[in-house]
Amino acid sequence: MNTMPLLELEAVSKRFGGLQAVKELSFSVAAGEIVSLIGPNGAGKTTVLNLITGLYRPDQGHIRFEGRDLSGLAVNAITVRGIARTFQSLRLFLNMSVIENVMAAAYPRTQAQFWQIVLRRPFFRQEEARIRQLAEQKLAFFGERLAGYRYDQPAYSLSYANRRRLELARAMATEPKLLLLDEPAAGMNPHETQEITHLIGDLRNRGQYTILIIEHDMQVIEGVSDRVIVLDYGEKIAEGSYREVVRNERVIEAYLGRKHGNTKSAAARA
Amino acid sequence: MSLEKIGQDEWVAQVEARRQKQNPVVAEITARWGRLPRVGKIILIVLIPVLLPIFVQNDYILRVGGLVWLYAVLALGLNVVVGLTGLLDLGYVAFFGVGGYGYALLSSAQFNIHLPTWVSLPLVTLFTAGVGFMLGLPTLRLQGDYLAIVTLGFGQIFVQLMTSMNRVGLPGLSAPINLTGGPNGIVALDPLHFLSLTMHSVTSYYYLLLLTLALVLVAIINLNRSRIGRAWRAIREDALAAEAMGIPTNRLRLLAFAVGAGIAGFAGCLFAAWQQSVFPGNFDVPLLITLYAMVVLGGAGSLWGMIAGAFVITVVPEVLRPGIQLLGIELQQIVFFGGILALLAIALRPRWRLFAVLGAVILSGIIVHLIAAALFPEQITGGTNLITAWLTIPVNTTTATSVGNFLFFIVVGLFVLLTQMPARWRDPVLVVALYLLAFVWQTRLSQEPSTTVLLLTGVALIMLMNYRPQGLLGQRRVEIA
Repeated sequence: MNTMPLLELEAVSKRFGGLQAVKELSFSVAAGEIVSLIGPNGAGKTTVLNLITGLYRPDQGHIRFEGRDLSGLAVNAITVRGIARTFQSLRLFLNMSVIENVMAAAYPRTQAQFWQIVLRRPFFRQEEARIRQLAEQKLAFFGERLAGYRYDQPAYSLSYANRRRLELARAMATEPKLLLLDEPAAGMNPHETQEITHLIGDLRNRGQYTILIIEHDMQVIEGVSDRVIVLDYGEKIAEGSYREVVRNERVIEAYLGRKHGNTKSAAARA
Repeated sequence: MSLEKIGQDEWVAQVEARRQKQNPVVAEITARWGRLPRVGKIILIVLIPVLLPIFVQNDYILRVGGLVWLYAVLALGLNVVVGLTGLLDLGYVAFFGVGGYGYALLSSAQFNIHLPTWVSLPLVTLFTAGVGFMLGLPTLRLQGDYLAIVTLGFGQIFVQLMTSMNRVGLPGLSAPINLTGGPNGIVALDPLHFLSLTMHSVTSYYYLLLLTLALVLVAIINLNRSRIGRAWRAIREDALAAEAMGIPTNRLRLLAFAVGAGIAGFAGCLFAAWQQSVFPGNFDVPLLITLYAMVVLGGAGSLWGMIAGAFVITVVPEVLRPGIQLLGIELQQIVFFGGILALLAIALRPRWRLFAVLGAVILSGIIVHLIAAALFPEQITGGTNLITAWLTIPVNTTTATSVGNFLFFIVVGLFVLLTQMPARWRDPVLVVALYLLAFVWQTRLSQEPSTTVLLLTGVALIMLMNYRPQGLLGQRRVEIA
């Protein structure tokens, strides 16, 4: 079996002025895995996502995707390599239609040149039909939620949960190997959260995506993760299955704080 | 999925339909247009402008028509940068100027170069697109206001250079050379010349500009519905998200600049050839403001809106000029009073309110006229025609002018007051304001058409931006939702 990880971070550090946002972080994600990145607020989770997608450059360390270093690549070039993301604070193209949001993300997978478009050459028309089909296929993943008459609705008319779904569909349209999901369940009600948990499982099983997910909702984490990585102050403090991690003393400490002067007895109880 | 939820989502989805309901007149027009068969639409859109020169052999009207097409082409080019890609480019007019001066230098006695049209047009267009690309390069990192300031600077530099480059000293030359003709511009340009056809007449430029508009419109419609157009709009909506979805935003911004500049450059050639001269003042800030007014009025991002905007901004000042007769009545009177009537019909509902207000205005006008005629016989008169005969106007023009000036401020004050007034007081005050407005129009506004046009355009823009911020044909935009 090929054991090369799909994504590999090696001793990655990032500092913003006096704040060490990420410190000597190493982890890897294997193809077909669902890995969760958790940690208290300000632990550096989103910074890690921004480092992987090229929004920030690491001060030290290497990020490798399929064995190739990503450093120095532009954001869009990294997407073309096969990494796509969603945003914690939704960043849809609000004044474009639902289907156009998805089709826009197919840009790097299309070739029609300026004059072919202006003159509507057959190549352009075929390609246009192809990405329309691709977009419908990605939207079909969400069943009736984003189907049919909604294609031509402006994105801003969607409900909050549907916007999250649309952002996922848009990320899928770049045809990535690795999906980075930044708090996909944020702002959703318990019913919708359950639905998104199923959906993430589906994305791996039916969609063949490898997934790295940041999430606060422990139900989601428990439901989907093969492996959980816990960050605190930019450092990895634990890694393992959900069950292992939630029993880890350092994790409990990071989330709930240290019991004053009583650490030994706390460890003994655990 | 429960049924209730579908209902809720549909309610959200129909938000646009509910917004459209607001105005019955607009709804009626759009509904009628929508009911027209496709053939009817094409006939209306294509046939009227194409056949116009056959039925109207009036050079003045054709000149205005040609200007509308020229401005529509320019607005479409500006719309690519501002409306689609969302880059606030205030240097756009300079590209128009580069095209104009480019054509002038290659087709005049300035350097005794007389290139054939089929060489100079593509050459200048490509060169201007290149200039757009070059301007784009250093501005890639600039957003919003910062981009606006830098491009505005570029536009001003262009005007300055054209004004002062009539004495350019170069090493190896004994005397400075005259490159651009300075403030006197370059004159006596060659007319356009295709095959054996030399274009002199207004009609020929009318058709050439109409053809250009059609080609540019089709090209941009095609681009807008393609990967490139979607990428442009994605950059406008959220450049960072666009980049994260694999769109090379820098390359597409440069492309938008180049396409906009190329269109402006081509239009510049046609403009220069048409008026057979170029001057620095042709490419200065007033034109920039006019173009932006067209884009905003038509609805930034909407392609047909650019034509609507160009039409309104170009034609309204022309029809408000005094001295044009239609059926024996001054056209400016018909336009002004017709416009007021249309506005009142939209604003006053139910319909009886409209008739009550209009009746009160005219009735009180007649009463005032009768009283004044009894008190000061031979010192007052009415308006010059049937529409305004009920007014009371001093015979002495000096008195009329000074009273008109004074009442102008009163009218403005009354209309401002109207917007802040409790509803039950509005109709009586409106009657007074309308009567005074008619008086001010008759004594002052219709006498000073150029000032009036600016005033009315300003008022119209304020009202439009309040009631329809997306412009005439634009889609309502949501910034944060």
